[in-house]
Amino acid sequence: MTEAKALALSKKSGTSSSGKNALNTEKANEITKVLTFLIGEQVYGIEIPYIIEIIGVPTITQVPCYEIPSFIKGIINVRSKVVPIVNVRACFGKPEIDYNERTCTIIVAHEGVSVGLIVDEVLDVSSVTERHLARTPELNQVNNNKFIDYILEMNDGVKLVLDVQKLIFDHDLAY
Amino acid sequence: MANIDPGMAAMLDAYLFESSTLLEQLDEILLRTEEAATFTEDDINEIFRIMHTIKGSSAMMGFESLQQLSHKGEDMFFLIRENSIEDTSFIYDLVFRMSDLFKEEIDLIQGEEYNPTDFSDIIKQLEEGAERLAGKVSGAPEPVAAVAAPAAAVASAAVVDSDSITVIVHFEPGIEMENLRAFLLLNKIMEETEVSDSFPKDVDSDPSTAAEIANNGFRVTFKAEDRESVVKLLEVSLNIDNYEFIENPGDLAAANAAAVSPAVETPTAQSSAPTPAKSTAAVSPPPANAANAGAPHAAPAKQSIISVNLAKLDQLHDIVGEIITTESMVISNPELEGLQLESFHKAARDLRKLTDELQDTVMSIRMVPLSGPFSKMNRIVRDMKKALGKDVELIIEGESTEVDKSIVDNLNDPLMHLVRNCMDHGIETTSEERVALGKPEKAFIKLAAVNASGEVVITISDDGKGIDHDRVLDKAERLGLLMKPRGDYSEREAQNLITMPGFSTNEEVTEYSGRGVGMDVVKQNIEKCGGTILVESKIGAGTVFTIKIPLTLAIIDGMEIEVGGTIFTIPISMIRQSFKVTEDQIIRDTQRGEMIMIRGECYPIMRLHEKFNIMSEVTNFEDGILILVETENKSVCLFSDKLIGEQQVVVKPFPAYFSRYNIKGAGLSGCTIMGDGSIALIIDVTNLIEN
Repeated sequence: MTEAKALALSKKSGTSSSGKNALNTEKANEITKVLTFLIGEQVYGIEIPYIIEIIGVPTITQVPCYEIPSFIKGIINVRSKVVPIVNVRACFGKPEIDYNERTCTIIVAHEGVSVGLIVDEVLDVSSVTERHLARTPELNQVNNNKFIDYILEMNDGVKLVLDVQKLIFDHDLAY
Repeated sequence: MANIDPGMAAMLDAYLFESSTLLEQLDEILLRTEEAATFTEDDINEIFRIMHTIKGSSAMMGFESLQQLSHKGEDMFFLIRENSIEDTSFIYDLVFRMSDLFKEEIDLIQGEEYNPTDFSDIIKQLEEGAERLAGKVSGAPEPVAAVAAPAAAVASAAVVDSDSITVIVHFEPGIEMENLRAFLLLNKIMEETEVSDSFPKDVDSDPSTAAEIANNGFRVTFKAEDRESVVKLLEVSLNIDNYEFIENPGDLAAANAAAVSPAVETPTAQSSAPTPAKSTAAVSPPPANAANAGAPHAAPAKQSIISVNLAKLDQLHDIVGEIITTESMVISNPELEGLQLESFHKAARDLRKLTDELQDTVMSIRMVPLSGPFSKMNRIVRDMKKALGKDVELIIEGESTEVDKSIVDNLNDPLMHLVRNCMDHGIETTSEERVALGKPEKAFIKLAAVNASGEVVITISDDGKGIDHDRVLDKAERLGLLMKPRGDYSEREAQNLITMPGFSTNEEVTEYSGRGVGMDVVKQNIEKCGGTILVESKIGAGTVFTIKIPLTLAIIDGMEIEVGGTIFTIPISMIRQSFKVTEDQIIRDTQRGEMIMIRGECYPIMRLHEKFNIMSEVTNFEDGILILVETENKSVCLFSDKLIGEQQVVVKPFPAYFSRYNIKGAGLSGCTIMGDGSIALIIDVTNLIEN
């Protein structure tokens, strides 16, 4: 039963990697859970299995190398691990704002590579069921943001779930 | 590793590790015994044990092909052990090949998809080898065979199989260069069939065999079933007067006995030497060639040693790094300021002492002796000696010098390339050539390692031809590798051109070296582990490659400096001095270049805040500080805001996320976490100032 749902999800989101992660869920009608956060007015989400932790904005050490794009802010120390930091606003081509007390760093990891994502504000965790999945067969044509994996239509609004794989490995998709 | 039982996967690592260790031991024993020309009882038992263990564990892991292969190997040594066979010279190539196939197979198993290799060829050869051994054992008591064919048995490695046949070829009288004609003929026959023996030996390298061939003919033994194709070949070959086949082994033996020449007598004497020879052969533990007769020579491998996964050591190392960082966070916690804490500080001092000790111990665990990569060279020299027909001795010194495991792993390939280069291009082609130059007949290649103040210096030297810097320059010019006018190159600079990418002085590509990537890769590998390589050579006298590598990658002595709020670490080893300057000491040229004169020498100044594009309030030379750094080729003064202090730092590479960006090219080699939890960037001085 769960597998069928996951299949439905992966069909809708094209060749996404999220389908596999969605398999590990217990509740029959829940496909996955996403952590939601704000960039400007828009709600985005990242599937829970990718998330390592959420911290504030630590001291960032810039890496002075002209090849590094400006959305990569530098490196931070997370318990003796050196983690690169990406400003999601800059990555999506939105104007950067000053960090405030609500600014958070979400540390995600995929295939052994971890990255800290700076977001405006972390909201909560939403449980995703099949009926939330928006029917957007040609996602990339309706939305210019290539990092979006699939879209959720929930009671409290539309949430764009990000493809962490692309976020970490496809630097060229950034603005 | 698709076809491995998941339950077994956990044991696979242990299996692979154990088998490769055992195979290396096997190689060592074989090399030693081959040199000593005899097996001691201990050797045989040890080899037997190795084969047996590999057989058992391969069977357990379900690698059937490996099990069969080791079984055959075991069979052969069983025969040697049970019958104390003396003359075993012919088995070495066979066993070495088996060991190589084993290693290849083990590499394959580690790969993505593993399909067992078909070992039937080598198994057949091993069976034949075993039969040959068995044949000897049973044949020995028969007086007729023993008397009639002693020379044959030894010189021709006893080819008495009924399914082989021997042909004696006589060339046209007075044709001259019989030996080379015979060599060419032999090669042609080898294309047609499997040649098990030929006489005289060494026709390609020993001109004196020409007379022997002219008088008695050239004898080749091959598989009887291929007789027709060989006849065809002989019919169309030029300059052959006549040929005759001998099918009866007895005739062969007689023919052999009749033709005994000095060349065959030596092995005869050796094989018939009585048992005492066994005890005189020094049993030396690898890789040190010191005599150690009587002691069990598995000693190097059999200390009270356990093997640990390197990943666990890395983890341990990380944790120790964290403890040290956390410790300074606790001890110099701002909340403790102004408090009277006598016993706290005493306890803190004790803690620091212990953590220092802990760190040293963890570092020492990661240190491994260079004997591993060094002794591998024995095998390479042995194989190439045979293939190239050069008489070379490999001298190893200082193999107990220890370096970090990660560095040793990076050293294997460069060492192999260099030794192969020495063998292939360095040493003169023939010993006659050497004698003509007044050098000893036997060439040497020396591998030496010494520990010199935080660095390990490895030298690979030979007494061969040396590098002709004119030829190097010619070639570099042709390839467009010269960076300045030809005349400006010193001899030494010219020689070091051979480490440029795409350079190889040898015009032809050989099996062993000279693909034109060798020296380039050597340099890259050595630079990868923070080392340098220098070539020094004298034409006619030999070549010395000097490799300098750091003891460990993980911890360096660094000078912390600040540039506009960012902390950088410069390795102390690169710093000559640091000093304050006044504005009037600065020399400016017309292109806004800034320089400073120190003790009569002029050094360019590099403003780090400009280089790294960092906003800094300190732009006036008088407010900041200059640090003179130096590499092999260049010295530059770096301008920074201020010095913070000297500290031992744990080097961390940049996260994999950055791998697509050339950070090293920007002059940064890694980063380190400081006592207060902030990150400092480590400056790669060589890349910073030379590019």
